[in-house]
Formats: sequence, structure tokens, C-alpha cells
Amino acid sequence: MRELQEGADRRLRAWRGRAAGGAALAAQPWHAARERLRAAEERTRLPIANVLVLVVALSLPFWPVIDSRWLRILVLVGIFVVLGLGLNIVVGYAGLLDLGFVAFFATGAYTYAILSSPASPALQADLNWWLAIPVVLAVGSVVGVLLGLPVLPLRGDYLAIVTLGFGEIVRILLLNVVGLTNGAQGLFNIPRPEFAGWVLEALDHWYWVLVLASFILAFAVGRMRASRMGRAWEAIREDEDVAAGMGVNTVKYKLLAFAMGAAIGAFGGLVFAGFFTFVNPSSFTLLVSINVLSIVVIGGMGSTPGVVLGALILIGLPEVLQFDETSRLLSLFNPIVPFADTSLWGRQLASARFIVFGLMLVAVMALRPQGIFAAARPQVRLPRASGR
Amino acid sequence: MFWFDQLINGLTIGSVYALIALGYTLVYGILQMINFAHGEVFMLGAFAGYFVLLAVGGDDLGGATIIPAIVLAMFVAALASSSAAVVIERIAYRPLRNAPRLAPLISAIGVSVALQNIVLRMTGGRDRVYPRIFPGGSFGFGDFQVGYIQAFLIVASVLMMAALLVFIQRTRTGRAMRAVAENRATASLMGIDVDRTIVTTFVVGAALAGVAGVLQGLWIPNIRGTMGFLPGIKAFTAAVVGGIGSVPGAMVGGFFLGLTETVGRELLSAIPGVHLPNEWSDVIAFSLLVLVLVFRPTGIFGERVSRRA
Repeated sequence: MRELQEGADRRLRAWRGRAAGGAALAAQPWHAARERLRAAEERTRLPIANVLVLVVALSLPFWPVIDSRWLRILVLVGIFVVLGLGLNIVVGYAGLLDLGFVAFFATGAYTYAILSSPASPALQADLNWWLAIPVVLAVGSVVGVLLGLPVLPLRGDYLAIVTLGFGEIVRILLLNVVGLTNGAQGLFNIPRPEFAGWVLEALDHWYWVLVLASFILAFAVGRMRASRMGRAWEAIREDEDVAAGMGVNTVKYKLLAFAMGAAIGAFGGLVFAGFFTFVNPSSFTLLVSINVLSIVVIGGMGSTPGVVLGALILIGLPEVLQFDETSRLLSLFNPIVPFADTSLWGRQLASARFIVFGLMLVAVMALRPQGIFAAARPQVRLPRASGR
Repeated sequence: MFWFDQLINGLTIGSVYALIALGYTLVYGILQMINFAHGEVFMLGAFAGYFVLLAVGGDDLGGATIIPAIVLAMFVAALASSSAAVVIERIAYRPLRNAPRLAPLISAIGVSVALQNIVLRMTGGRDRVYPRIFPGGSFGFGDFQVGYIQAFLIVASVLMMAALLVFIQRTRTGRAMRAVAENRATASLMGIDVDRTIVTTFVVGAALAGVAGVLQGLWIPNIRGTMGFLPGIKAFTAAVVGGIGSVPGAMVGGFFLGLTETVGRELLSAIPGVHLPNEWSDVIAFSLLVLVLVFRPTGIFGERVSRRA
């Protein structure tokens, strides 16, 4: 027994390297290690902070400054938080750079639109939005696996450019498979979510639903990450060959990453379709993928608070910059800034947002590659073997 | 004749792809990274050429004056694209040379997004239109007609590729580039300035892309900030098809892709009941990319790299 313990301890020390350590944990059902990991997770969780954030987030609509413009922006931010949580699994956890995430967003939006819009040329089924949730999650994960299969052997740059191609192909299909998608006109009059007479229409209701959905998703994603699956993802991210060598089934876990990410992305699409009540191919361009990727990278790859902060900065801020109040506030600088109308700065910055995003990506990579919120890595400290 | 026209169209667009693909393949050979911003370097060349042509007379150019005008436009475009590439390499890639794999890639995507939107913003989001100065006629016999402009594109790009091959095979700088591609550390020990050679590689690739931008502008006059995106991916596809890292591979791959997407689409459309609009060329190109990467990652001429970590 003692020898066994020492043997295990020696091997573990050999696996101190992050990748190997994760891979080893993922490969072997080590109860002791798991227990400790769980305990470490619990300690870093800070439930009070989470509850506080939830309460503040839910109470926002009651704040006097928050009017319908703010709520609209917050709903938009919420949709991108959902998308970011999905892409974070693929890029942040598993290290698979997916530039075609819009494909899953479009899948979710169009699945619901085709099954519910009266304009749908085929398969119209009056599907209720709430009942569509499991359908969309299932379709999303299937599409995730289907797009994941051909790219399984590809790494890094190649994966990025092929997924970019997939995103474009999906857009072209949406435009051209008119019999299903109604082509460039898109699908409209998509029914709003309705449950026992309660129609989800008011902005504050949408906002609350999105906050709760984001929290549930964030919790689920956090549990995934702490699970054997999550450790397998991180092992693959750090070094796929070592992970495979340690017995991680890389095919299975990469496909799981695509499937989970895609399902969440598709859910984001479902929210989009239900909120805006129309979809057409022009909403599903490369810019969506770039937006979501920027959120994940700038917020901090692999970090859930990073996704929220990233979405607030990248999606929310440009909108707020266009408020009249912002212009008025900025015009206060006019007396000290010569040769410029400072009241226009907000709008100018907002309309140049993609320039700023691009430069931010470059700057973040050069100066702070871990992003604003560096992801906390779950760590296990294993005990020294007794008697040494 | 319809099929002959398609063949010529395929070769013409293929020559543009080939010129851009050379930039991907040169940089890949030396740094093992995909220069995601290369499509934007091509776009900048097209715009530089456009402003030169506008400055020297625009639509009023005619007769023999178009030759020096076009040569000047190409020269300035090559210069502009090369300068952009030098700046991009210095700011976005060099600091990340020893960073994790994804870092230079994300940085490159950032550069690409920023450049697209800077140009879009400067042009007010509207297309600019190249002056139509190139004579529109064609030559040949009977049904087999080749447009002057298409012949010009194909000949010009073949000449440039020949010049590139001579440069790489016969000059000291070319030899340095090959040495660094072979083994950076050893090349450095042999007294080659690796940093300078890497910059040279970017410059050569960018110059070719800049000229390709002018060539395409003369043929398809509408240019805009996002015009580099599709040719960028497709030229990358061409480089992969030919075998990334291989210079002849990029040339062959470019022509091959041009032919596949034009002739291939028409062949598929010839099947009764199938109608494929122009966008399907893109679908064909992307599908080809996936098929090649999955079934023959070495491409036609290259070594196996797509799975290398």
C-alpha cells in the first residue's frame, strides 16, 4: 500500500508540468485528486461574490438611470455573453481557434425561425420558443460535431482558416437554400416566447431572462471545466500530443468541446431570433465571429468574468458612447481641446469600433496575453508522501 | 466559346490568387505562421494603385500613356504594400515570435480587422472604381477570344513569378531566405541576419500582393476595404493546395484554384436541375481547402505541415 502511494507520488511529481498534470488527472479516475480538486474549486468559488453580482444584475432595471435604451443595450450584451460563454469553451478551454462561431449562432436562430415563423417556406411547426430550447441545443451540438469532424486533425492556423470558411459557407447556404431559409429576405414575424399566457416582450423581462440564463450557463460551464472533461480540454490546449500520450481521448474531447460550444452558440441564436423576431443572412457575417472572439480574447481566454466584462466593453460601450448624454459630457472638454469638437468623440469612437477592436487584439497579445481577467486555473496540490 | 471563356477567366483569377498565395507560402516557409493580414496587404496595394492612376489623369488617360501610368501604379502599390507589411511584421508579429501558437494568429486577425475598417472608414464605406483605361477588346481567332486585359494579367503575373524564382534561386538575399526557411538557428550561425531576412520575405510577398491588387483593379474595377478577405482566404487555399511552403506549389495552386472555381462551378451547373450562382465559387474553394487538408495535407508539392504543432 505504502509502495503504491509512493509510486503514485513519484509519477505525479514527474507530471508537474501543467499539461501533463491535467492530462494525467483526466486520464485516471483518481478519487483523492478529484476530491482535492473539488475542495480547491469550492474555495475559489466565492459564492457570496456571485450572489452579489446576481442581485446587482437583476436589480438593474429598477435603477433610476436605467431606461429602455440601457435595457436594450444590456439585452444585446446578454446575447453576446451567451455567445462568449460558448466560444470560451472552444477557444479558452480547449484552445481550438474557431473563427466560424457565427455558424452556430445562425444555426440556432434559423432552427427556431424555420420551425416557427409564418413566413417559413418549409417545416413550419408553430414551435413554442421555450420548447425550442432543447431542440436548438440538440441541433446546435449536432452541427458542432458535424463541423468538428472534418477539422479534427487540424491545428492552430489551419483550424482557424477552415472554420472561417465554414462560417462563410453557412452564410452562403442561408442566402441560397431559399426553399428552407427564404433567401435574402429572411424569416420574419417570428413568434415571441410565450408561456401560459405570459409573452416575453418587455425589455426588462428579456433582460431578466438573459441574466438568469447567463448565470445558469456560466455555472454549467464552470462545472464542465472542473470535470474530467474540462481537465481533458485544458490538457489538449496545453499540448495535444502529451494529452494523447497520457491517455486522453483527444477525438472525443475535441468533439465534445465543439458540441458544447456550438450548443451554447445556438442558444444565443435562439434568443436573438426570439428577441428581434426576424432573421436574415446579413445578421450572420464574419463580424459576429470577430466580435465574439474579441470578447473572449480581450476579456481573458478561459475566464467567465472576462466574457462578461468583454461583452460589456465591446458591445455595450460603443452603444453608450452614442448617447446624447455622452456627447454633452464630452463637450465639457471643448474649452481645453483646440481644433476639435469633443462632443463628437463618442460617436466617432463608436463608429470606429472595429478599428479599435483590431488594435486591441494586437495590443492584448503583445502586452497582456491572458486578457483583462486572467483565468484562474484550478490547481491541485498533492500531499508529499509520508515519511519523506 | 463558352468553355474557352471560362478557362481564360479561371486562369486570370488564378493568376491573381497565385501572386497572393506566394506571399503566404514565403512567410509560412520561413516562420511557419499564416499571415492572416496578407489579404489586407493586397487590398492596400489595390488602393495605392487606384490613387496613383487617379493622380496621373484617371479616365482621361489613353493611348500610349497608359503604359507608364500602369507601371507607376504597380510600383507605388508594391511600395505601399511592402511598407505596410514591414510595419505589421514589426508591431504585430516580431514581439510574438516566441509566444504560444495562437498569439501571432490572434494578433494577425486584429491587424486584418483594423486595416479593413480603417480603409472602409476613409472611403466612407463606398466602393471606389478604378479608371477604365485598359483597352477593352480581345484577340484570337473565331470563337476562341482572349480579352487584352486578361492576357495582360496572366502574362504580367507569369513574368513576376519568373522574376521571383530567379530572385530566390540566384541572388544572395534569395539564398539567405532559403537558408532561414531551412533552419533559422543554423542560418543565424552562418552569419545571416535572420530578422532582416524575415522582413525581406514579408516585403517580397507584400510587393507581389500589391501588384496583384492593381492587376485585379484593372480587370474588376470595384475596390473596397473588405475586398482582401475572400482573395486572401482563397489564395491561402491555393497555397495549401500547392503545398504550403513551396514556391512553385503556390503558383500551380493559384491557377488550379482559379480553374476549379470557375470551370468547376460551370460544370456542376451543367448538371440538369442544378443552378449555382457566383457565390458558389467560394463554397467550392472552401470545400477544396477542407478536402485537401483532410486527405492530402502535403498539397501537390509540399511537406506534411498542417498537423505540426
